[in-house]
Amino acid sequence: MRTIISKLFGRSPFAPLQFHMSKVGECVQKIDELFTALGAGDYDKIKTISEQISESEHAADLAKDDIRNDLAKGVLLPVDKATLLAILSIQDSIADKCEDIGVVLTMKKLELSAAFREDFQQFLKKNLETFDVAQRIIEQLDELLSTSFAGFEAEKVKTMVDDVAYKEHEADLLQRQLLRRLFELENEMSYGTFILWLQVFEALSQLANLSENLGHRVRTLLDIKV
Amino acid sequence: METESILLGLALLFGIYMAWNVGANDVANAMGTSVGSKALTLRQAVLVAAVLEFAGAFLVGSHVSDTVRKGIVTPEVFTSNPLFLAYGMIAALLAAGAWLQIASYYGWPVSTTHSIVGAVLGFGVVVGGFNAIHWDKISAIVGSWIISPLMGGLIAYLIFTLLRRRIFYSSNPVKAAQQVTPWLVLCLFFILTLILVFKGLKNLNLDLPLMQALSLAIVVGAIAAFVSSILVRRIRVETTAERELIIQSPKVITALSKAVKHLQQVKADTSGEFHYQTTRLLDEIALLEKTAQRGMEVETGGDAIKTVERIFVYLQIMSACFVAFAHGANDVANAIGPLAAAVDVLKTGVVAMEASVPLWMLGLGGLGIVVGLATWGWRVIETIGKKITELTPTRGFAAEFAAATTIVIASKLGLPISTTHTLVGAVLGVGLARGLGALNLRTVREILISWIVTIPAGALLAVLFFYVLRGIFG
Repeated sequence: MRTIISKLFGRSPFAPLQFHMSKVGECVQKIDELFTALGAGDYDKIKTISEQISESEHAADLAKDDIRNDLAKGVLLPVDKATLLAILSIQDSIADKCEDIGVVLTMKKLELSAAFREDFQQFLKKNLETFDVAQRIIEQLDELLSTSFAGFEAEKVKTMVDDVAYKEHEADLLQRQLLRRLFELENEMSYGTFILWLQVFEALSQLANLSENLGHRVRTLLDIKV
Repeated sequence: METESILLGLALLFGIYMAWNVGANDVANAMGTSVGSKALTLRQAVLVAAVLEFAGAFLVGSHVSDTVRKGIVTPEVFTSNPLFLAYGMIAALLAAGAWLQIASYYGWPVSTTHSIVGAVLGFGVVVGGFNAIHWDKISAIVGSWIISPLMGGLIAYLIFTLLRRRIFYSSNPVKAAQQVTPWLVLCLFFILTLILVFKGLKNLNLDLPLMQALSLAIVVGAIAAFVSSILVRRIRVETTAERELIIQSPKVITALSKAVKHLQQVKADTSGEFHYQTTRLLDEIALLEKTAQRGMEVETGGDAIKTVERIFVYLQIMSACFVAFAHGANDVANAIGPLAAAVDVLKTGVVAMEASVPLWMLGLGGLGIVVGLATWGWRVIETIGKKITELTPTRGFAAEFAAATTIVIASKLGLPISTTHTLVGAVLGVGLARGLGALNLRTVREILISWIVTIPAGALLAVLFFYVLRGIFG
């Protein structure tokens, strides 16, 4: 009995979007484990975790396709559809970056030398923190929907967006410092190692950048009296 | 005499069948929204619908029934062949019922009202000729078909936007909801009372002149609003899981207010570039002050919304009753309009119509609807209720109130509209006001297509059945 009223209601994309983000969160969680293993010099574990990341990323891709299929033409959303799809893309990119990092670390047996270990840990931590806030923002989507993207809930999310932006800025500063360290040590490592580290730093910094982008996109959805 | 009895029996049979159809398929669209939001259980929904559909049909159903009975086809055209009018009306009932069966088999979003109007129109044009139709009435009806979903949408949009601004935007949503509720109750009871007593049923002494009707409506509305304002104050905010929220100490807030005052002084005493920079700084700090304060006030942030929705459960129950009432008032005519015309002709032998549709027929129609609801309609309500779970009470109230108001006004004006399409319009109105997660606009296209197809289909079937009846009964 498919009546008009039940046909009128489509599948809300917000819960699936949150689900997708949780899958991305799994990937990012594994990045943390990955570098712990690197610090311990456990290269077999690195390989395993890298494969796990690929699997999580694939699961996220399936969820992403589902969402895109449901948002085919003719669906009325309380927010701009293009922005919603953009948020989905950004989340997808974060998962992709995690996979890239995992792959890079399997290229060569890198060593987390004591010279920049401390700076690196800080940098890693800051990037993960930034993503954390972004994930929490996405977790607020159902609350935002129930308050119709307005009011105190929206104000709360706006504060979180500002927080993400600031953390990304901090991550940038830490990255600069880390790069300086790396260049100081450039003669003590092979060219290949040097390149790989650059790639690792670049990919990690993308985690924070993408999180900031995500935050700003969510910001545009909000109905706030400025 | 024999033929008359058989025809009378057929008329009653098909008339009751149409009423049953309305109860079985149409009511569910109106009540399903309340079950989906959990404002009503299935059992409560069926009960509410049963009582109020009947009440609406009985108390306000005469206006639209009269239109379908004698407002579309001019009975005078059939003065020489009164039985043809009876055949035609019976054929129309049968045609509409058949078309609805076909449509529900294929899952098409066809309206009961469009079907019967198309059928009556069809037989009237083909059998009675072009002049047999009140074309001005037809254009009014078609106009109302276009306007009613739009009006439902507009009212729903306005109501939900009001709810957003007053409740969801506010820093204390529960208090805001407690303040808004009495006004909403006032409006609902005002409209309902006005509809009932202004030009209402004469036999029940419900026919009041405008001024008296307005005064009575306001009084009833005010009483209801007062009662609701007392009841709503008893709702407490639930304190469940704690949310982490950065709360600034009062010292911080006082310091910030001082900073704002100092900067205002600076701003007043400077000019040019310096003044501009100070103004910008002032804006930032004022915002900071607000954020700090909000941290203090909104400790139970997330639960406030749950409480607001709980308050609106009661409002949605009221609007569900309102919708059921309005639906009965408008849709009973789909069955009883043609039935009354046929019965008039068969009993008196002439085409002169009674002043208005007899009450017992409205009661019969109401009963038919209730039976349809009790035997089949509840199943459809259950199905819909399971699928529409994202319609929270605030949204449900906005959509139902808008739809009910539109439908009940149309009923008073004697215009047969599609209650389901009006509700669709109302839901879209809420969606446009950013209230709902995802709505399929393809449904609108399907509805528009059904409009184009239903009138000719109903008309053709009615003409077909007319000739069958004339062939059998001569």
